[in-house]
Amino acid sequence: MSNVRQISVFVDNRPNQLAGVMKLIKDSKINVRALSVADTKDFGILRMIANDTEKTVEILKAASYAVKVTEILAISIPDSPGQLSRVLDILGSKNVNIEYLYAFLGKSDRAVSFVIRVDDNANASAALTEGGIIQLTENDIAEM
Amino acid sequence: MEKYWNKEIECASREDMKKLQDERLVAQVKHVYENVKYYRDLMDKKGVKPEDIKGTEDLHKLPFLSKADLREAYPYGLLAKPLSECVRIHSTSGTTGKRVVAFYTQHDVDMWEDCCARAITAAGGTNEDVVQVAYGYGLFTGGMGVHGGSHKVGCLTLPMSSGNTERQIQFMQDLNATILCCTPSYAAYIGETIAEMGIKPEELKLKAGIFGAEPWTEEMRRSIEKSLGIKAFDIYGLTESSGPGVAFECSEQTGMHINEDNFIPEIINPDTGEVLPEGEVGELVFTSINKEAFPLLRYRTRDLCVLSRKKCSCGRTLIKMAKPMGRSDDMLIIRGVNVFPSQIETVLIEQGYSPNYLIEVDRVNNTDTLDISVEMNPDQFSDKVKDMQMQERDLAVAIKTMLGINPKVHLVSPKSITRSEGKAVRVIDKRKLHD
Repeated sequence: MSNVRQISVFVDNRPNQLAGVMKLIKDSKINVRALSVADTKDFGILRMIANDTEKTVEILKAASYAVKVTEILAISIPDSPGQLSRVLDILGSKNVNIEYLYAFLGKSDRAVSFVIRVDDNANASAALTEGGIIQLTENDIAEM
Repeated sequence: MEKYWNKEIECASREDMKKLQDERLVAQVKHVYENVKYYRDLMDKKGVKPEDIKGTEDLHKLPFLSKADLREAYPYGLLAKPLSECVRIHSTSGTTGKRVVAFYTQHDVDMWEDCCARAITAAGGTNEDVVQVAYGYGLFTGGMGVHGGSHKVGCLTLPMSSGNTERQIQFMQDLNATILCCTPSYAAYIGETIAEMGIKPEELKLKAGIFGAEPWTEEMRRSIEKSLGIKAFDIYGLTESSGPGVAFECSEQTGMHINEDNFIPEIINPDTGEVLPEGEVGELVFTSINKEAFPLLRYRTRDLCVLSRKKCSCGRTLIKMAKPMGRSDDMLIIRGVNVFPSQIETVLIEQGYSPNYLIEVDRVNNTDTLDISVEMNPDQFSDKVKDMQMQERDLAVAIKTMLGINPKVHLVSPKSITRSEGKAVRVIDKRKLHD
């Protein structure tokens, strides 16, 4: 099991709010490896994987942001048709419910990476291993 | 051991108190009739002569006075003493319209400060205490009133005024403040800042707080008590009647004792003006009976509350007023339902949210809308949208249960709602823009 930590940040749904978070990150020289924003009419939830989780959490909390760290799964699959569908079939066959997923850039231009958020990481991770899907560790992502 | 500033008055028998009130009321009415034309006209119009008022049982014969009268009589129309005998002016915050000014002779200032001294003593203050006054100083009565009371008790008085929160906390620490006096919303903000600075309440010497000048809830009291490690006492007053200290809380914390030797309270039906019996909710009306420059007879405060003569464990016999439910002009009528911001505050604190919120009322297609922005609780933050939307829904349901109408709840970032150093602005009523 890979235990990749994802940082989520509560962001108001108003101009300049995301910019505020990213500026703090930029000023701390943290590198964001993966990122997505979920939006509602009132607020957004920024989710990201950074090369230094502790430091990112620390600077954001110091600036009064609501921050949460969750463990997610990260996978790397070939960049060819039908690959994501294969992953979803594997998870579906083991009855894993996906809360959300998002793609991010890997090192190779022949592969693509995904963050997958499920409620039962252990079960999902075992299913992926059994299905021959490459899972990334936090270190893998930091070094990308 | 309960301490009193003026035991003879605070614990007087009902008979002795009534005798004092009767004497003072008769004299006050005579003083007003003889010296204030505005009153003379009002009384003549109602057909009441000073001789008709023989004691408190005749109080109901007098005409009411409202804030509108005070505005009309601005600035000198209700003055009952020559300016040469006056020593001070204070003014209302003007939050509900044009300002009102009040005048004080030295006697009036002494009476007011004496009321504040009773409040400080009831909160446990003695000449061993350091009182940090973080109410605004100036035209607002909060700062100078409590300041004067603190002097009377002989406390070491720190005249901080409001604002500059980090300096407040530094002085609080360095100079070992034991009693904090400010608005409840500012006390909550100071508590929040202390936590942010990594200071634990037990590292402070604070033991009590005296908070007033705006409505606050029992839930807010508990939350402030926890964040500052103190016992929080309510204090009531209004500029029109002198300032803070008209009523004050004792160790029982179940309502405020009214300084009846100076102010006679009544509860009336706000629509008919009829006097209501003890225990019924209505508008609080005060008659000052010991003022020289700016006496007010049957002044309608617009505060809604209940009076009680139930025996108090502190030993005081002064009548008690419950925490006002809100000033009747703070009350919002939304879709025909009476809504007090304090009801919403109660729900927020119960559900674990901060007491910082903003209520926006508007009218869309002839229907009132109620939007409440609430700072989300970082401890309950989830990366899942559905969890967060569930929190908004749960809060909306809890508020609906309290008010009877459906609000729209909007979660916003922690600390994003402006903190108040004085009276907090919690309501924006945009309907007025359309009228």
